[in-house]
Amino acid sequence: MKRMRMLALAVLAAAVLLAAAPAGPAPTAAFKECLECHGDKSIEKALPGGGTLSLYVDEKAYRGTVHGKGACTTCHSDAKAPHGKLAKVSCGTCHPDAEKSYAGSTHGKGYAKGNRDVASCASCHGKHEIRKAQDPASRTFHLNIAAVCLACHKDRAIEDKYGLPGQKVMEAYEKSVHGMALKKSGLMGTAVCPDCHGNHAILPGDQPRSATHRQNIPTLCGKCHSGILEQYEASVHGKGMRAGIAESPVCTDCHGEHTITKISDPASPVFAKNIPKTCSACHEKEGISSRYALPKKRFATYMESFHGIALEYGMTKAANCASCHGFHGILPSSDPASPVNKANLPRTCGKCHPNAGPNFAKGAVHVEVTAQKAMGVFAVRVFYTIFISALVILFVLHVGLDLIGRWRRRERAEEARKE
Amino acid sequence: MSAESPKSAQVVRMSLMYRVQHLLLMVTLLVLALTGFTLMYHENWLGRTLIRLEGGVLFRGFIHRAAAVLLMAQLVYHAFYMLFSREGKREMRDVLLRRQDFDDFLQAIRYNLGLAGEYPRFGKYGYKEKFQYWGATSGVFLISVTGVILWVETFSMKFLPKFVLDLTLIIHGYQGLLLFVILLFWHVYNEHLHPSVFPMNMAWLTGKVEVEWLRQEHPLEYEKLKQEGII
Repeated sequence: MKRMRMLALAVLAAAVLLAAAPAGPAPTAAFKECLECHGDKSIEKALPGGGTLSLYVDEKAYRGTVHGKGACTTCHSDAKAPHGKLAKVSCGTCHPDAEKSYAGSTHGKGYAKGNRDVASCASCHGKHEIRKAQDPASRTFHLNIAAVCLACHKDRAIEDKYGLPGQKVMEAYEKSVHGMALKKSGLMGTAVCPDCHGNHAILPGDQPRSATHRQNIPTLCGKCHSGILEQYEASVHGKGMRAGIAESPVCTDCHGEHTITKISDPASPVFAKNIPKTCSACHEKEGISSRYALPKKRFATYMESFHGIALEYGMTKAANCASCHGFHGILPSSDPASPVNKANLPRTCGKCHPNAGPNFAKGAVHVEVTAQKAMGVFAVRVFYTIFISALVILFVLHVGLDLIGRWRRRERAEEARKE
Repeated sequence: MSAESPKSAQVVRMSLMYRVQHLLLMVTLLVLALTGFTLMYHENWLGRTLIRLEGGVLFRGFIHRAAAVLLMAQLVYHAFYMLFSREGKREMRDVLLRRQDFDDFLQAIRYNLGLAGEYPRFGKYGYKEKFQYWGATSGVFLISVTGVILWVETFSMKFLPKFVLDLTLIIHGYQGLLLFVILLFWHVYNEHLHPSVFPMNMAWLTGKVEVEWLRQEHPLEYEKLKQEGII
């Protein structure tokens, strides 16, 4: 009885397996037929431009792929033995959704126009070696896909032909914090090309529907950096961006794109020493500060302060913009939650200067030396300028007079001696 | 400069103590000026170059404060010396500002303009030396006080609002510039470029001046020393 049951189970299992396989000729039989030729390692065809293309199919390798249980004719439906050039394989027959989104992508549109430089299904997924994206051996595996994209996007000929971002941008990615996490640590959580640019529906960033369009950037980065996105959404920059103000900065305006490095990297635009310049890229713009009624001369007054000088000469522990104003969650000083709100200044200054209490917080932080903004400093400066200038003039006059007087004294002495 | 007497006799004008103080003052002020102005004018190439030479903005500060400690120690020592030592008390009498100095100054101007018949007769220190001495001393005092406030900024913040510290900083800088200008124009003219001492009054090194020079430039002191039988 037991044996019978085991046998029944095995038959059932085989039936299920067979039923799960795609319809068509029995795979094993058809396979053998194809492999009679394509199983020969030396089979190849001459290419029109010279050179040869191997037509060998490694059965064992193919068996391990996602389509390994299918038959050759599932894709190459017009294949008979022997056969000439076969029709183009259409992946869309089984993968209509992918085909549809690909058709709308910048690659798909190019392909439809007959451009064969653009990526088609096989360019990224491969042909006989297609595996699931979760499979570490797959070309589209998270840690492998960047190399697949770069195969074309680091090719100077292609870059030049289509005006694509240059090799430098691609190399910058490889050196970026994301690229290094990929290359050095094999970190699954790191951002690789399709994480930002999308896959089938990929579009250039200047198109509103693109994943990397300006308006989509915070959400995009927030997919991984969700805690920071939350802070950003509450900030004046985040609110502005969501309100449709295109000049409001998004992640990439401060951090860069492919070049993103750690904030401890001196090349990062948000490295302590570079922060004033990064913020000033917008805040020193006359148009922006006028349009949004922002205080002016923030950069110049900061660079004149001891903090600015110290930072300029490499003391990165000196306060920069972000030390006082915050960064992702930045708020206008009028907001009671802002660290630079008048009421919060003692605590903010106190982060570095423990004795800086409410008494210290009197007076402007960015000292703009004009009669209206900082009368005291302005008056002292004017006083000394006038005083020192006057003194110099008087000194020169005195020297002149003194020399005349001395010459007169000598003349007299001469006369006296002669007499 | 008496061309008549080739073997011109000399007389002491600066004792060793004063020469040491003068030298120390000169060195500390120069170091302070170099390290201070580099910060004040940090944005131009000279400032940038000097800051680099001074070992960066942090080390520049160390040098500046080390020199400042020396200068202030000297200021205190000098004050005590002038008020309590025998030599200092005598010098103090000579250098103290009097009504006479103002009159001398006006008379010198009138004489130089050809409006007065006689050039004023100075004692050991005429109005030029006294202006130098008191100008520099008050300048050093003010710059020391503001400098200390800025040095102990963590402590100062407890009592002083930021705008007061802003004022302190600007006064400190401009006072330094003022001192520098006095030294450059007044001191360099009086002790180097003035025809009676050109190219340099050697008293700061040898301590001595020629008797003939004293007779011409400081006749009252000459007469006093003559009376005392020193010359």
